[in-house]
Amino acid sequence: MDLRVPSGWFFTLLGVILVGMGLIAPGYRLAALTDVNVNLYSGIAMLIFGLFLLLMARLAASKSR
Amino acid sequence: MKLAPVDYVILATYFAMVLGIGWMLRKRVSTSGDFLLSGRAVPVWITSLAFIAANLGAQELIGMAASGAKYGIMTAHFYWVGAIPAMVFMGLFMMPFYYGSKARSVPEYLKMRFDEKTRGFNAFTFAVMTIFSSGISMYALGLLLHLVLGWNFSTSVLATAAIVLAYTYLGGLTSAIYNEVLQFFLIVAGFAPLAILSCSKAGGWHGIVSRLPSNMTHSWTHMGSASQNPMGVEIFGMVAGLGFVLSFGYWCTNFLVVQRAMAADSMSAARRTPLVGAIPKMFLPFIVILPGIAAVALAQMSAAGGAHLYELPVKLSGGVWVKDYDQVLTTLMAKFYPAGILGVGLTGLMASFMSGMAGNVTAFNTVFTYDIYQSYIRKGAPDRHYLTVGRMTTIVGVALSIGAAYLAQYYNNIMDLLQFVFGFVNAPLFATFLLGMFWKRSTANGAFFGLVTGTVAASLTWGLTVAEGKGGVFGLVHTFPSVMAQNFWIAIVAFTSCFLVTVVVSLVTQPRKESELEGLVYGLTKIRHDENAKWYERPVLLAVFVLVLAVILNIWFA
Repeated sequence: MDLRVPSGWFFTLLGVILVGMGLIAPGYRLAALTDVNVNLYSGIAMLIFGLFLLLMARLAASKSR
Repeated sequence: MKLAPVDYVILATYFAMVLGIGWMLRKRVSTSGDFLLSGRAVPVWITSLAFIAANLGAQELIGMAASGAKYGIMTAHFYWVGAIPAMVFMGLFMMPFYYGSKARSVPEYLKMRFDEKTRGFNAFTFAVMTIFSSGISMYALGLLLHLVLGWNFSTSVLATAAIVLAYTYLGGLTSAIYNEVLQFFLIVAGFAPLAILSCSKAGGWHGIVSRLPSNMTHSWTHMGSASQNPMGVEIFGMVAGLGFVLSFGYWCTNFLVVQRAMAADSMSAARRTPLVGAIPKMFLPFIVILPGIAAVALAQMSAAGGAHLYELPVKLSGGVWVKDYDQVLTTLMAKFYPAGILGVGLTGLMASFMSGMAGNVTAFNTVFTYDIYQSYIRKGAPDRHYLTVGRMTTIVGVALSIGAAYLAQYYNNIMDLLQFVFGFVNAPLFATFLLGMFWKRSTANGAFFGLVTGTVAASLTWGLTVAEGKGGVFGLVHTFPSVMAQNFWIAIVAFTSCFLVTVVVSLVTQPRKESELEGLVYGLTKIRHDENAKWYERPVLLAVFVLVLAVILNIWFA
């Protein structure tokens, strides 16, 4: 099993959830000290990280084939 | 703190994920070696992240933010003076013997190098220690979740323990290690935003420096005397006690972390495990300590209404209100995190707890199966028998940790004491390993009596000294400016007495034949130099790179 596949999917999913939260419910108004859309930005970062892991796994799989 | 449905979804996804990884890995287990040692087949990027994640339990996470708020940037000494040099030493000089000797555990190396009684002593203390550490951190987590979210203590303790048990039972060490990597990513994803948000709210590092006393934001400048810095430690105690004895003792001899490196797929990968791990490790202070320091600055800043942006949490202790630093991390999360990222942060906290607990459980079942059961209870059984024993020990280990967690709930003070003792229990052991690996003349009796003397000396030093009004059970010889200083000095005494007694006893006892020590001692072992390794795979080069980075960080925040 290539660990990059499940963790890649996990972070992609997490990113999608957070970006969704950031877009439809800009909840940053709910946290007392936060004045940026933290869900959107960290969601984007997690999405990129997840996709990066999946890409690396794909590259490794095609190389070994 | 109140959770929204989306936070529960994130938490549930994570639980499904770790169980799924355990389920997928179950087919890789067919021998006791697969289950307890990962069959020595894990790639280096995975072992190195697991190496640091196994140490990054929930207590470390909460404790580092707490220390950041209490002591400031000096807390980073645990990383930049403590862990990093020790991890480099481990990778360069000790891993060739651990991995090359084909020992399956740290106690087993002691058996090969010295004798049965030295192994027995170490295996037994280690087994007891892992159970109690895992129980204490389980207790801490249950208490925190109860305090912060109002969750039932028993439910959260039993549910998390059941999940850890399920995935370690299914996939053994491989499953624990794979999940530790995921857990490490999650800890970073869950807490890096908090560090960024809290630090920028406090006006960035410059804003923090301008608001706090200078000894909270400089790690070396105020180390001249113990009275000038918040930790109450002078430079010698820090460098010799923490930097040398305690950190080398922990990172080089604690099977919990060593086991991760031993699971690597080659000698070169095993040596690179702590070295590669050191790179993310030295940047962790920015995620785990910085929010604590920022919290102190925020507590001095006023909002539009005149109230402070943030108040440091307090608790009632003996009739007076004192600061409760252990709650700094969770109160910051409540202040900065809206639903969504809050779920990720909480999941990160759960993940850190699980990685710490799985680390303890997998180290415990290996030491119990190979060093206690196979050595003293039933020798020479077929491997399938030991696989079953390993699996059963996993269940028993989790059950015992749960027992220890409840014990901690009722006997709080005993647990504080145990935790303090675990702080220096590895200190004499490091002297034993240093002499065992690098001095071929050291003998089994020397090692055993050195180890016993070191442990007794540590207990005596603890019993005869007082720090912050505690200790001095056997009388009063010296008063330390802080518990931290006391802990560092106990370690120095334990190490020195173990070292001296081992040398003296070794010189008057019969050494072993050199031919028997091949592969176990420096100078009698051919260390392969990985000539065909690519330049970036060479341990020495990596080590130099890591040390240069660590020096830069130390100077930057001096």
